[in-house]
Amino acid sequence: MAMPKLAHTPAAQDKLRSLGILALNGMFDEMDAVGVLRYAVSDVLPGDLAIVSSFGADSAVLLHLVAQVDPSMPVYFLQTGKHFTETLDYVETLKKHLGLINVHAIHPSPDDVKRFDPTGNLWETDPDSCCHIRKTEPLEPITEQYGGWVTGRKRFQTRERGVLPHFELTSDDRIKVNPLAYFTDADVNQYKIDHGLPEHPLFGKGYKSIGCAPCTSVVAEGEDPRAGRWRGLNKKECGIHFDFNGAIASPMTAATKPTLWKDGGFIADPFHEWTEADEPATASYKHVPLPVFLANRDAFLVTQHPLGLLVVPGDNIEQVEADLGRFVSVAIKFPAFSDGRGYSTARLLSERYHYANEIRAIGDILQDQIPLMRRCGFNAFVVTHEPTREALIENRLPEVALFYQPVGTTEIPVGTRPFLRRVL
Amino acid sequence: MYRYDEFDAAFVMGRTAQFADQVKRRLSGEMTEEQFRPLRLMNGLYLQLHAYMLRIAVPYGTLSGKQMRMFAHIARTYDRGYGHFTTRQNIQFNWPRLKDIPAILEELASVEMHAIQTSGNCIRNVTADHFAGAAADEIIDPRPIAEILRQWSSLHPEFSYLPRKFKIAVTGAPNDRAAIRFHDIGLQAATNAAGDIGWEVWVGGGLGRTPMIGKLINSYVPNEHLLAYLESIMRVYNRYGRRDNKYKARIKILVHEEGLETIKGQVEAEFAEVRGGVLTLPAEEVDRITAYFAPPAFKTQPATKIDVAYQSIIDPAYGRWLDHNINSHREPGYVSVTISLKPVGGAPGDATDKQMDDIADIAERYGFDELRVTHEQNLVLPHVAISDLRAVYEALVATGFADGNTGLITDMICCPGLDFCALANARSIPLAQEISRKFAEPKRQAEIGELKIKISGCINACGHHHVGHIGILGVEKKGGELYQITLGGDATEQAAVGKIIGPGFEAEHVPGAIETLVDTYIARRESADETFIQAYRRLGEAPFKEALYGNA
Ligand code: HEM
Ligand code: SF4
Ligand code: SF4
Repeated sequence: MAMPKLAHTPAAQDKLRSLGILALNGMFDEMDAVGVLRYAVSDVLPGDLAIVSSFGADSAVLLHLVAQVDPSMPVYFLQTGKHFTETLDYVETLKKHLGLINVHAIHPSPDDVKRFDPTGNLWETDPDSCCHIRKTEPLEPITEQYGGWVTGRKRFQTRERGVLPHFELTSDDRIKVNPLAYFTDADVNQYKIDHGLPEHPLFGKGYKSIGCAPCTSVVAEGEDPRAGRWRGLNKKECGIHFDFNGAIASPMTAATKPTLWKDGGFIADPFHEWTEADEPATASYKHVPLPVFLANRDAFLVTQHPLGLLVVPGDNIEQVEADLGRFVSVAIKFPAFSDGRGYSTARLLSERYHYANEIRAIGDILQDQIPLMRRCGFNAFVVTHEPTREALIENRLPEVALFYQPVGTTEIPVGTRPFLRRVL
Repeated sequence: MYRYDEFDAAFVMGRTAQFADQVKRRLSGEMTEEQFRPLRLMNGLYLQLHAYMLRIAVPYGTLSGKQMRMFAHIARTYDRGYGHFTTRQNIQFNWPRLKDIPAILEELASVEMHAIQTSGNCIRNVTADHFAGAAADEIIDPRPIAEILRQWSSLHPEFSYLPRKFKIAVTGAPNDRAAIRFHDIGLQAATNAAGDIGWEVWVGGGLGRTPMIGKLINSYVPNEHLLAYLESIMRVYNRYGRRDNKYKARIKILVHEEGLETIKGQVEAEFAEVRGGVLTLPAEEVDRITAYFAPPAFKTQPATKIDVAYQSIIDPAYGRWLDHNINSHREPGYVSVTISLKPVGGAPGDATDKQMDDIADIAERYGFDELRVTHEQNLVLPHVAISDLRAVYEALVATGFADGNTGLITDMICCPGLDFCALANARSIPLAQEISRKFAEPKRQAEIGELKIKISGCINACGHHHVGHIGILGVEKKGGELYQITLGGDATEQAAVGKIIGPGFEAEHVPGAIETLVDTYIARRESADETFIQAYRRLGEAPFKEALYGNA
């Protein structure tokens, strides 16, 4: 994803050079969000500061601060064209309630949409590109105009944000102001109550982190609020995450420890286990047990919700060969590490049926098995065992990097000699 | 002999480092014994009755003098001065310390050896005819294919967690000396109508608590498709083999329960998918590997005949040795020599560090630096010039391994039993020693002729008792050790599983019972040329049963 090209901003640089970012960060009490924002507006970057808001479930707090400090600060809203109507209503509600007088909707380029997303389904097949044309590209010319941005990011949200300060200098010499850096989830809720802020209409319905409609789903009780975003797509973050309002474009990492290892990192798992109460018509982001799928095949095939498949030892993957396109994820269960049937299942999926989406291993997995699993086509692992987690994070899985037998779709021998040898 | 190239060396080093790390994690307590178990098993490390046991692979039973010397060194440095050669052509050390294992493996790697896949539910070390590349009756040397199978099966990502262990044996000769019909997969060289050499594939043989003779699943698979065909069998087994009961988890049970035709159908369907794919074995690769097994530089020898009768008069012990321990060679002027690890009263298959060093010397001096381990727990010098036989014999006398008893009653296969093994019901080594003392007299042995006694301390049948002409099995019995006797087993191409003859015997009565069986045979045989097993086949069990139990 292309980074927005930002202009050189001598103003911000000079300011920081004279103040020193450390000094700035030492000036305010941790919870003094208003103080931080007021100082940013009046002293650090007067007239050169803006905010991008998603008008999501938590956006009201930051916008309320803005309204107190400077109701004429430019507020940008990414009108991706994919929002819930409730969100659009909420924009109007907040504008009126808070008295914000400088709110702008940013639209994607109609040409881009026509060219890259003519059917409107790009989010499904390639969410990164969808975000790119609907968020990153439209925002780029706007960001160039300002020396700094106000964000709603909070320390508790993610591991990486554990050290988030009030003021940050970005790599392109802009200033990010994070008034809510030290706020916890409870602080946010308390603030909303204390100030009688209107809730997003979907909040009460179980949506805790609200982005575009197709990419947002309900979050279960106790689950990470962001787990509802980009569910099932294992999309980690939007192209613009690095700079702006965290609520718009946050990495899908959870405050609680995520257990799904994929693409080199632990990420929040959008999937849930299938339960007795689930219905084929409404199931979404569930790993449907293979026999359940077969028994309700027609019902599952007519729905559009992202679905996964659960395969346990003894299931015959052949039976769903024709339906594999329906699944964004296949979970292969290892009830015991010694039960190796799943290795064959994975090879059949990836090599014989050319299934290219997620194949995840779940259950009893030893770290020493992961390298073998990868070779058989697994590309995701649900891991809870702590030493295994550490080994994954530190990239020190015990593995032998050389192997003799061609396996998988990427290990096709080149030429004939030496026939059986491969090096990872 | 196969020589590692850089890749093989790096592979073994990588695996050794990996295992060293696992041992470290175990020693530091980061891993529990429970978690360590499957990992150590993949590296041939067992927990026995008294200590860890390390099993080292001798691929298809072939090794060099240098490798034998390494075994001697390990026995001396890390163990109690001896090693035990097994029925799977491997060697085991019974007393290594866990902390020494990484060092041992590193030393092994320096001579191109390892313990990979000598245990665990994976494809085990591939075994082969111990006279491979030498025997006069051979159609083709099975070792190149065995080596290719070794490579293909090493750390196979799909087949490292099979329902149960998986053993493959290969023979290139019609006289089966590798017991291929008692392996999960047995391969026997076969010639098709066009005269090309390929492989008969036998599947579902095995011993253990449910002995089964393998069934012919394909009468001709060419080299080209062999890996694809075997991968098909492995996949069917991995997916459908029973995992609910470890005693029913071997492929023999799957084949038995589903029927050969069903399994064959599944294998063929799988083969139809993978045939011609990435596992297609190029002829150049077979040639490349075969080149490693090129025959040594034989010299034209004067046409010497071995005059056993003459030598027997001059030196009876040497005569016996020539009579029994020599196998005919395809190269004129040469023979293969069996080094019997069954001295009277010894523990079958055991050798001390000194003995191993001496044997390495002999191999280097007289045997083109080649040695074999046999599944009957002996060693073989595959290529010895007839003119050197006397010298070899004398050198062997000095080692204490010059008994001319190969194939005779004292050449027993015997598992470790209760002296070492945690699963044993009864001792087996002391029993073998008893029997060998009882029949120590060479004349008596010669009179009895070929007779294979095989002893297991429990139903797992590590000692192959099912295929002994006389099999002895330690069974459970309150308060004592009890042995069951089976008759009529045969591990060769005339495969047969022995039948239990009657109630078991207390340990002290077993040698006597064997004597009764032997006497019955001698009394009833048609001539001295009719062997025990032939007589048994002709007579059936009745006379033997009667002799043992009376005709009550
Ligand atoms: C001392 C520790 C040992 C243990 C705990 C042990 C354990 C076992 C077990 C559990 C089986 C039965 C497997 C099955 O049929 O599913 C078995 C079979 C076998 N073992 Fe061992 N064993 C030991 C030593 C040996 C030794 C020393 C040898 C070679 C002399 C050996 C060679 C074999 C062979 C050839 C079988 C034949 C059964 C077959 O392949 O069907 N084992 N062992
Ligand atoms: S949030 Fe969804 S619809 Fe909106 S831009 Fe991103 S992927 Fe596309
Ligand atoms: S046959 Fe039984 S007693 Fe003998 S080694 Fe095998 S498991 Fe142990």
